[in-house]
Amino acid sequence: MKERAIPIMKHFWRRAPGPLAVPIISLGYLLGFAQAAMATQGHGSPEGLYAHQIAHILFAFSLGVLIYWLREHSLIENSGWRFVQYGAFFLLLWNLDAVLAHHLDDRSDLFQLIDGGSWNARVHFVDNSTKVVLLYYFAKLDHLFCVPGIVFLYAGLRRLLQQVQQSS
Amino acid sequence: MSFPVYPIWISDLAGSALMILFSFLCVRLAGKLRDQDRTNVVWLYLLSVCYVLAAFAVSRSVGHIVKRILITLDYENAWTLVRPYSGAINTVTFIFVASVTLFFGRVWKIYQQILQDKQAIQETHQQLIFMNRNLENLVAERTRELALSERKYRRIFEVSRDMLAVVRDDGTLMTLNPSGIEMLGLSSDDISSGRRLFQDFFETTDDWNFLKQTLEQMGYVADTEISMKRADNSCFSGLISGGVQDQPGENPGSHHFLVKDISYRKAMEQQILQADKLASIGQLAAGIAHEINNPLGIILGYTQLLIRSEKENSQNSEDLRIIEKHTRSCKTIVENLLSFSRRSQTKKAVSRINDVMDEVISVVRHHFELEKIGIEKEFDPRIPVIAVDEAKMKQVFMNLIMNARQAMKCGTVRIETRYDEPGHKAVVRVRDEGTGIEPRHMTRIFDPFFTTKPTGEGTGLGLSVSYGIVKDHGGEILVESEVGKGATFTVTLPVLEQTISVPAEDGAQRKSQSGS
Repeated sequence: MKERAIPIMKHFWRRAPGPLAVPIISLGYLLGFAQAAMATQGHGSPEGLYAHQIAHILFAFSLGVLIYWLREHSLIENSGWRFVQYGAFFLLLWNLDAVLAHHLDDRSDLFQLIDGGSWNARVHFVDNSTKVVLLYYFAKLDHLFCVPGIVFLYAGLRRLLQQVQQSS
Repeated sequence: MSFPVYPIWISDLAGSALMILFSFLCVRLAGKLRDQDRTNVVWLYLLSVCYVLAAFAVSRSVGHIVKRILITLDYENAWTLVRPYSGAINTVTFIFVASVTLFFGRVWKIYQQILQDKQAIQETHQQLIFMNRNLENLVAERTRELALSERKYRRIFEVSRDMLAVVRDDGTLMTLNPSGIEMLGLSSDDISSGRRLFQDFFETTDDWNFLKQTLEQMGYVADTEISMKRADNSCFSGLISGGVQDQPGENPGSHHFLVKDISYRKAMEQQILQADKLASIGQLAAGIAHEINNPLGIILGYTQLLIRSEKENSQNSEDLRIIEKHTRSCKTIVENLLSFSRRSQTKKAVSRINDVMDEVISVVRHHFELEKIGIEKEFDPRIPVIAVDEAKMKQVFMNLIMNARQAMKCGTVRIETRYDEPGHKAVVRVRDEGTGIEPRHMTRIFDPFFTTKPTGEGTGLGLSVSYGIVKDHGGEILVESEVGKGATFTVTLPVLEQTISVPAEDGAQRKSQSGS
C-alpha cells in the first residue's frame, strides 16, 4: 500500500503548480470567505460519564477476551494461568458492577444522602425504590470484586514465577 | 428507610489501599518473571498489563482516598475541582488496561511461533553440530550404504532370468542385462557400441509403435504379449512391461523394459489346448465308431452268408465281395477310431522298448533300402522295461517311421531311444530330414482324418491312432518341426520301477533292472 501511495503523491506533487500552491489557496479561501462555521462540537457534562462507562465496558470486554484465549489455548490447565483467569473474571464483574453504580449515581428520585460529609451519613430510600437502592448500595461496595481480582492476579503471577524458577 | 454509608466508605478506603498495594506487588512479580527470560514476549506482556493496571489502581484509588478526605474535611469545593481530572485520568487508564489486555491472543500466537522457530533452530543447530562432528563417518556410512544398494540392484539386474533393458526414446539400447543379451542372441560388444535398436528385435513394427504410443499416453505398459526375434531371426514370444524414466538424475526421455520369455509357457498352453481338443474329438469319434461298428458287423456277416449261397465267379458273387471288401475297410477305420479314442482293448505286457523298435526297423528296412533312404539308430541300453501292448506300440512306431520316410525323397531317418532317469521315462525320437511341417498344420496333425497327403494315399488316421495309443499307455507324443529342415516326433513312455522278469526269445527268463 505504502509502495503504491508514494509514487501517486510524487505524481501529484510534480503536477501541482508549486509546493506552496495548496496552503496559499486554502489560507486565501479561509480568510476571504470565512463565516460563522461553528466548527467544534460542544461537550456537555454527560459525555464524561458516557466515556467512563464505555471505558468500563471496553475493559470488561477485553477481560472477557483474555478469559476466552486462556481457555482456548488450554492455559488454565496450569494453576498460574488459572489464577490469572480468576482475577480477570473478578475484574470483569467489578467493571459490570461499576457500570451499574455509575448509572445509579446521583439519582435523587430514588434516594437521598443525608449528612453526606460526615461519618454519620445515611442513604435514605424514597418510597417504592427499595430494591433498586439496595442494589445500588451493594454496587457501591465494588471493592468486593476488584480487590479479589487483583489478589488473584498476584497469586497467578507468583505461581508462574515459582514454576519458571523451578523449571530453570 | 435508610442505611449508613460508612461501610461503603470503609471498603472504599481499605479497598483502594489494597488495590495500590497489590498492583505494585504484581508489577514486582511480573518484573521478576521478565528477568527470568527477557526475550519472553508473554512475560513482557504481563509486565505491561501490570504497569497499566498499577497506573489505573493509583489513579482510581488516589482519587477515591482524596475524595473521602476532602469531603470529610468539608472541602467539597476542592473535590469538585479535582473530580473531573480524577475521573478523566481514570477513564484513560481503563482504556489503556483494556487495550493492552486485548492483545493477549495475538501475543500468545507470536510466543508459540517464536517457540516453534526457536525449537526448529535448536534442532537444526544440534544437527549441524552432529554433522560437523561426524561428517566423515556419515559420508563413509552413506557411501557404504550406496555401494551395498548398488551391489544389490546390480545383482538383481545381472542374475535376473528375464530381460531388463534401458532404452532411449529413439529405441537405442543403452543397457541390457546378461539374460537379455542371451535372449536376443547378442554379445556385450553389441550393446556397448550403442548402435543396436530395441525395435529391431520386434517381429513386427506394430508392436513397437503400440508400446511407444502406450508409454507416451500412460507412462507405463504392463504385461503385454509381443513376438520378438533374436539376432539370428528366430522368434520367441515375450511378455513385456515397461515405464518411462522420469526420476531426477535418470536419463531423460528413456524407458526401461522387463521382458519375460513365455515361449515354453505358450507351448505348454498349446499342448493343453491340443490335448483338450483331441479328447473332445476322441469322445465324439468313440460314440460314432461304437454306433457304426455293430451295423457294419451285421452287414459283413450277411454279405459273407450271401457269398456262400452264390456260385463262384458269378456276377452276384463278385458284387458281394466288393461289398465285403469295403465293409472291412470301414471296420478298419472304425477300429482305428476306437484306438484313437482309447476304447479298444489294450493288452499290456512287460517289454523292452529297444526290442520293439528293432522289430519295427527290421520290417521297414527293406523298403528303405529300395528307396535309398538310410536308417540310423542309437539305442540307450540303460532303458528299463516298460509295460506296453507290443502290437499297438509297433503300430505307433511304424506310423512314425513311415511318415518320416514319406516326408523325404532322400536322406536318413534317425531313430533314438534314451532313458530319462529323473522323469522315469523312456524316450523314443524319430527324426527325418524332410520338408518339415508348416506351422499352420502343427495344431491339426493329430486330428482324425487330417492329412496333407494326396487323396487316396492316406486316411489321416495314422497320427491320431498313434496319439490315442500313446496316451492310453500314459505317455506323451510331441512334435517339433522347422520347415525345410525336417520334423522330430518324440514319444515318452513311463518305465516300470520294479524288477520284472521278461520272457526271453529263446524261452529263458531274463531279468531287467528298473531305472530307479
